[in-house]
Amino acid sequence: MTKILNIVPQKCTGCMQCELACSWVQTGTFQPSRSLIRVNVFDEEASYAPYTCLQCDEAWCMTACPVNAIGADPDTGAKVVSESLCIGCHLCTIACPFGTVYTLPNTGKASKCNLCGGEPACAAACPTDAIEYVESETVGDWFDPWGDQLHANYVEQTSN
Amino acid sequence: MANNIIIGAGPVATNAIETIREFDTESQITLICDEPAHSRMALPYWLAGQIPREHTHTADDAYFQRLDVTARIGDRVTGVDPSANSVTLCDGSSLAYDNLLIATGASPLALPVPGTDLPGVQPLWSLDHTASILNTTDGNSKPRIVLIGAGFIGFIMLNAMHKRGWQLTVVEREGQILPRMLDTDSAGIVQSWLKQKGIEVHVGTSLKAITESDDGSKSVELDNGTTLSADVVVIATGIKPNIEFLDGSGIETGQGVLVNDRMQTNFANIFAGGDIAQGPVLGGDEKEIHPIQPTAVDHGRVAGANMAGQDVRYPGSLSMNILDVCGLQNSSFGNWNDPNAEAMTISNPDGFIYRKLLWTGDQITGAIFSGRPNDMGMLTDVGMVKGIMQTQAKLGEWKEFLRENPFDIRRAYVANKVASKLAGTTLIGRPSKTRGFHFGGKSPTAQVASSHQVYVGTKPS
Repeated sequence: MTKILNIVPQKCTGCMQCELACSWVQTGTFQPSRSLIRVNVFDEEASYAPYTCLQCDEAWCMTACPVNAIGADPDTGAKVVSESLCIGCHLCTIACPFGTVYTLPNTGKASKCNLCGGEPACAAACPTDAIEYVESETVGDWFDPWGDQLHANYVEQTSN
Repeated sequence: MANNIIIGAGPVATNAIETIREFDTESQITLICDEPAHSRMALPYWLAGQIPREHTHTADDAYFQRLDVTARIGDRVTGVDPSANSVTLCDGSSLAYDNLLIATGASPLALPVPGTDLPGVQPLWSLDHTASILNTTDGNSKPRIVLIGAGFIGFIMLNAMHKRGWQLTVVEREGQILPRMLDTDSAGIVQSWLKQKGIEVHVGTSLKAITESDDGSKSVELDNGTTLSADVVVIATGIKPNIEFLDGSGIETGQGVLVNDRMQTNFANIFAGGDIAQGPVLGGDEKEIHPIQPTAVDHGRVAGANMAGQDVRYPGSLSMNILDVCGLQNSSFGNWNDPNAEAMTISNPDGFIYRKLLWTGDQITGAIFSGRPNDMGMLTDVGMVKGIMQTQAKLGEWKEFLRENPFDIRRAYVANKVASKLAGTTLIGRPSKTRGFHFGGKSPTAQVASSHQVYVGTKPS
C-alpha cells in the first residue's frame, strides 16, 4: 500500500501555509503562484481545499512525455519530473486531466508534486491537519464528498 | 510464440514494445525503420541548442537488448502481403509475421513551386532536416530564414529558431497564422505578439518562386508582389501519412489506415497507429487522424496490449495541441473550430490573453487558450478543461456559472467530480510503468531541496 496526500476539506481554513511551504521547497521562493499545491478558496460556497497531483495510476503526464523525463519514484510512487531531461514541450501540462502539471515561468520546464521524496512539506506546514500523508488503497476518496458539498452549496445559493 | 513485426520507430513503436513486454516476455519483436528511434517532438530543442542530438533518441542498443527486440534500423519495408502474412524489405527479402504493427508516421508535403529544389530550401521535419539547417547556418550567427507555412510544425521550429536569435519571416497562404490550431481572433493576438518580437508575418499570400543569386542568398517571391531575402527557406506546408507502400495490399485506407478501437485494420493481425492511423475519436462517430504525440502513445499502448493477447479497447483520441510561440503559450482542444458550437469567449488582446470554451449542450467540446506562462502554464485551468472534455462531463447548471465566471474553471471541475471519474481509470487496465530508456531501466527519485528540512524537521509530533 502506498501513501497519498489525503485532503480533509472540512479542516482547511484557506490559510495558504501549504502553498508557501511548497513554493519554498520546490522553487526556493515564497511565492504561492509557484506552488505545486493550490488551495481552492471557494468563499461563496464556504468551501476550501488544497489540491495537487493525485499520483494517479494512468499518469497521463508520464506516458505523454516524448523524452521519458517523467518516471515513478520507486519509494513513494510519485510521478517525478527530471528537470535535466525535461525539454519544456508542455505536453504533460495539457495531457494531465487534473491540471496539476505546471510550467515554471523561470525555467520553462515542467514541475509537479513529487511528494517531497516521502515527507511532503505541505502536510508538515498545515496547521489544521487538513493535509494528511497516509496509507490508502485509492487515490482520491476525499474528492467526491467535497464536490458534492460544493455543488449543493452552489445550488442552494443560486436558488435563493 | 508469437512473432511481432513493428514498422517505424516513433512513439507508437516504443510504447507498443514496452506494452507487449508488460504482458509477454516470450514473443519475438522485430523493429524495422529507416531512421533511428527518436522523438520528433524533441527536435526543436536540439535545433535551439538546448539539448544535444542524443537527447532526442528514444531507444538505443541497451534498450533493445533489455526488451529483447531485434532492431533493424536502416532497413525499409516496401510492401505488405496480408495473405502471406509477410512484409517485403527494400533489399527484396521478406519476413513473416504473426502480428504486424504499421506506424510509419508522416512526411512533409512537397511544394510544387519553382526554386524549391535549390540548396538551402528545405523542410524541417526529420533528424536529417535539422542537421541540414544547423550545417547550412553554421558560422552565421543571424541567418535570414523565411518560413513558408504557419502551421504547428512550422511554428514549433520557428520558436526554436527564435531562441537562436535568427532573423525570421513567416509566410502563410491562408488569412491567419496557425489555421488548424487557433481561431481568427486568437491567431490575431499571436500575430501581434510576433510583431512585438520582431518577426515579420505575411498572411493571405503564397510562395510564387525562389531564385538564387551568386552569393547563395535566396530571393523569395510572393504572389502579392513582395520579395523577401533569405539564407534559408523552410517549407512547412503540411504533412501526409506514409501509406503509399500499402497500395494494393488490401489494407483499407481513407485519409490514413482505418483502424478499430483495438487498433486493428481490416486484417485482425495487422495493427496501425500514430500519424498514419485514422481511428476512433472521443465522443465522435467519424474516424480521424490526430497526428499528435499523446494519440501516438495511446495507439502504441492499445495496439501493444492487443498484440500481446489482451482485449483492450481505446475510448478514442482527443485532439490537443500546445505551442509556445516565442514565449506566448497557446493551446487548443477537441472541436475548437466547430461552427455549430456555442462559444464563450474572453479576449484581452493588449494583455495577450484569450480563452474560448465551445459548448455542445452542457458539454464542453472544444477550447482555446492563449496567454503568457503565468496566465497559462501555472494555472490548473487548462488541464481541468482537458479533464472535463475527456470525461465528457455534462455540466448542467455549471454552464451558466462558467458563462458568468469564465476564469473559474476549478469550481465547475470540483463540483462535477471530474477528478474522481479519472483517478481510477487506466488505458490498458493496469497502472502505467516508468518508461525506462533515459533512466537506464531505473526509476527516478525526487530531488528535494535542503530547505525542506525547515518544514519536515520542525513539526511537533
